[in-house]
Amino acid sequence: MSFRTRLALFFVAALIAVQALTAVLVYEVTRHELIREGQRQLGIAATAFARQLDDISDRVAASVKVLSLDFALRSAIAEHDQATMQSALANHGGRVGAAQMLLLTVDGRVEVDTLGVYARGSAFPYADLVTRAWSQPAAAVVAWHGHAYWMVVVPVFAPNLVGEIAAAIPINDDLLSRLQAQSTLPRNIELVAHNADDTWTPLAHGSDRNALSAGLATRRTSLPAQPALLEVGNREFVVQAVPLSRSRASAPVSAVLGYSVDEALQPYRSVAFAWAVLLALGLAVGLIGAWLIARSVSRPVEELAASARRIEAGDYSASRSMQRNDELGELATAFANMAEAIREREARILHQSAHDQVTDLPNRLAADAHIQSALLNDPLRPSALLIVGLGRVPEIIKTMGHVVCDRVIRDVGNRLRSPSASGFVARATETEFAIFLAGSDRQEAIAAGFRLLDALAEPYREADLALDLAPAVGIALAPMHATGANGLLRRAEIALLAALGSEEPIAVYDPATDPHRPERLSLMGDLRAALDNDQLQLHYQPKWNLAREAVDGAEGLVRWQHPSLGMVPPDAFIRLAEETGNIRRLTRWALAAGIAQAKRWHAAGRPIRVSVNVSARDLDDADLPRRVADLLALHALPPECIALEITEGAIMGKPDAAIAVLRRLADQGIDLAIDDFGVGQSSLAYLRRLPVRELKVDKSFVMNLHESREDQAIVRSIVELAHHLGYRVTAEGVDRASTLAFLHDIGCDHAQGWLIAKALSAEAFDAFLQHEREEVPG
Amino acid sequence: MRKLVWVLAFVGPLAAATANAAGLNVRIVDQHGTPVADAVVTVVPEGATARSGPAPTPETRVIDQKNLMFMPYIEVFRPGDSVVFRNSDNTRHHVYSFSPVKAFEFVLTPGQSSAPLMLDKNGVVAVGCNIHDRMIAYLYISDAPWIAHSGPDGKVTFDSLPAGPYDVRVWQPRLRPNKPDLAQTATVLGNADPQTLTFTLSLLPDPRTQFDREHTSY
Repeated sequence: MSFRTRLALFFVAALIAVQALTAVLVYEVTRHELIREGQRQLGIAATAFARQLDDISDRVAASVKVLSLDFALRSAIAEHDQATMQSALANHGGRVGAAQMLLLTVDGRVEVDTLGVYARGSAFPYADLVTRAWSQPAAAVVAWHGHAYWMVVVPVFAPNLVGEIAAAIPINDDLLSRLQAQSTLPRNIELVAHNADDTWTPLAHGSDRNALSAGLATRRTSLPAQPALLEVGNREFVVQAVPLSRSRASAPVSAVLGYSVDEALQPYRSVAFAWAVLLALGLAVGLIGAWLIARSVSRPVEELAASARRIEAGDYSASRSMQRNDELGELATAFANMAEAIREREARILHQSAHDQVTDLPNRLAADAHIQSALLNDPLRPSALLIVGLGRVPEIIKTMGHVVCDRVIRDVGNRLRSPSASGFVARATETEFAIFLAGSDRQEAIAAGFRLLDALAEPYREADLALDLAPAVGIALAPMHATGANGLLRRAEIALLAALGSEEPIAVYDPATDPHRPERLSLMGDLRAALDNDQLQLHYQPKWNLAREAVDGAEGLVRWQHPSLGMVPPDAFIRLAEETGNIRRLTRWALAAGIAQAKRWHAAGRPIRVSVNVSARDLDDADLPRRVADLLALHALPPECIALEITEGAIMGKPDAAIAVLRRLADQGIDLAIDDFGVGQSSLAYLRRLPVRELKVDKSFVMNLHESREDQAIVRSIVELAHHLGYRVTAEGVDRASTLAFLHDIGCDHAQGWLIAKALSAEAFDAFLQHEREEVPG
Repeated sequence: MRKLVWVLAFVGPLAAATANAAGLNVRIVDQHGTPVADAVVTVVPEGATARSGPAPTPETRVIDQKNLMFMPYIEVFRPGDSVVFRNSDNTRHHVYSFSPVKAFEFVLTPGQSSAPLMLDKNGVVAVGCNIHDRMIAYLYISDAPWIAHSGPDGKVTFDSLPAGPYDVRVWQPRLRPNKPDLAQTATVLGNADPQTLTFTLSLLPDPRTQFDREHTSY
């Protein structure tokens, strides 16, 4: 539901609610007041009516009494002259409007009845009236044959009480209507007889014939003695019943006065109608007004929403300003201001994101994008990227701080602008500037490089400070060195590094000297693949037992024949494996291969002890002893058939956990050897703590043994000392016969080196042993 | 107390028994206990059916009409007595009676007296004036041996009654219609102190005030 609809609906609903509430309130109040007024009036009217009836009754009685004093009548009564009495009574009854006249004896027997209803001598039914009439005229309203009558009984004195005259005067509709016309009686007035079965028989009613009679006829409840609100035949009346003077012989007769609330409300109907018309009109006007107002609110809101969507889409063109003086106008202005502010901020952010804040030159990202697009536009066009590096900048920062350094950089940026001419100058990194020269070949690039160097030749001066900038330039050429901006930048930086490290201040990229070729990163993945695919080989370098003059051991060395790169040097990939955490897998593989080979030799009756190199990283692996034991058990090989070599540096400073691993290995009966002994910083005292059985003297001590007396002394001392401590000694890198002889003389246990043999494949090793056996029998 | 009417002729044969005379006090009150005037009390020896003894000498009594009233209101007669109506007012009076005992009707001019009317039957004659409704008088005709009517104190006293049983009756004009006279029969009077009988009457309003506006409801 749109705002406009909701607003309009709210207005209309509020209007209807207020009007309806007011109408209900007014109706209820009016009705309540009318009922109260009706009750008040009815109370008065009822009293007045009863009094009026009594008055009439009294007047009738008086009239009848006057008749009773007529001497002729009295004489007729005294003389029991029936005919005279009959005619006289009929005559007098006509005077007072009586429907029936009777002469009664003093004891209430009918003497004469003008209607002939009662036989002479029969008892007059209203005996109580007879008795009351002994002293004074008595009257009662009686119901007889569905009609109401005043029954007036007056005594006849002649001069003593000789009889009574009864007159029945009808109370009919006409009389009631007359009474109503003469006074302020309500229009609903009825006489009802209370039947024995508690129902009410209507006897007469006033001018207004209405539902009151019918409603009362079936009513079995008592009639209210006080004004009360009754619902009679679906209409509301304020009703009061006034009991009229009665005779015990007749059903009680009551006058029922009703005040019709509906009729009282009748005059208000036209008011209500006018009200409804007014409400409808107001509603229509309100609807239109609400719709218009809602539209005037929602229109600009919709416009603002559209303008907000435009801003969201990046269109900051000032939204159509609304010429309004209200809140919406303010909102629109705020919107326009906001769009303008966003536009400015975005421009600033864009600028900042593409520019260096110190020099206000394009930054690396911008340079990248610029170069990339230039290269893409014309891939074959030769271009040059010059990177100007300032070797002294880190030093300047350290000594002078960043503030000074920033000023230096800013100065450099300014100096670089003019010699770059048409070139694109950017700040590539903290210490480097990039100048892209589109359409320049190698010669032009180098010339430009010199111009740049000239511009930076002057030291930076500030106050009494003069800073030599030590600039250098690295050049990379497109498309020769790279076809993308990223590659070009990287290669230019490599060239810069080369220039910074050399005498020559300008260097052009040389692919041959690039140590950072990306191939290196893929080497590790290849190593994992080689491990998985068994592309590695374990070669064995024989260990010559100087005492026995025979080969009785071999050091296992990993060889990797890369499918595309050829033989990869072990130093390269082992260091890589250590750095990347793959060394454990490599060691595991070497152990498996070495033990398997030792088993083969053992089975063939050749007592060759195979040494496997274990990396420092492997010592962190508490599983290593178990794994070695598992492999030995798998091949059913005695532990003496293998040895593990650990470099001196790998043990130094190792926590006790690593030493515990070594202990467990030694406890299994596996010999442990210290590799490359002598170059590290281990002490013999420290070695004493380790379960080591063998020291391998580093080849740096052995290589010059034939001519260096110091080395001879060192090696002799090591051997001597080791033997004293119970270690065996192996000399590595033996490549001269004289060295071998020396070692033999000083009692060294094993010799290893090219002189004996280089590392051999298992097959070659077997062939070597065969040959040796033939050459040196025994 | 109103002076008793004595019927001496009647007393005569019993004079010898005077020494044995008894007294009877009759007290008449209405339903409220108020003494009732104008009540006629007759005392008849029990069993006496007819008048015995010689008839008394007839008398003539005058009922005067003065200030639009009959004076007296009640007069007791013996059968054979006569009544004369005298108009002492300066208006005419139309005296009438429809009583079966004695019906008559005549007009008396001021100062005029009627011819004596002989009352020969026991009974009550209600006399009225057709011109003046409030005027009424009662002529009580009885041959009872003792008869008297009460004054404003509502008392009647009979002295020197022979001892014996009596029927005592009371009549009053305002007694309710069609009721027999109040009677106490077989009242035995002895020689002891005078006996007192009390009659309580239920009375209607005085018809003499019936036509007075002050006493009506309209």
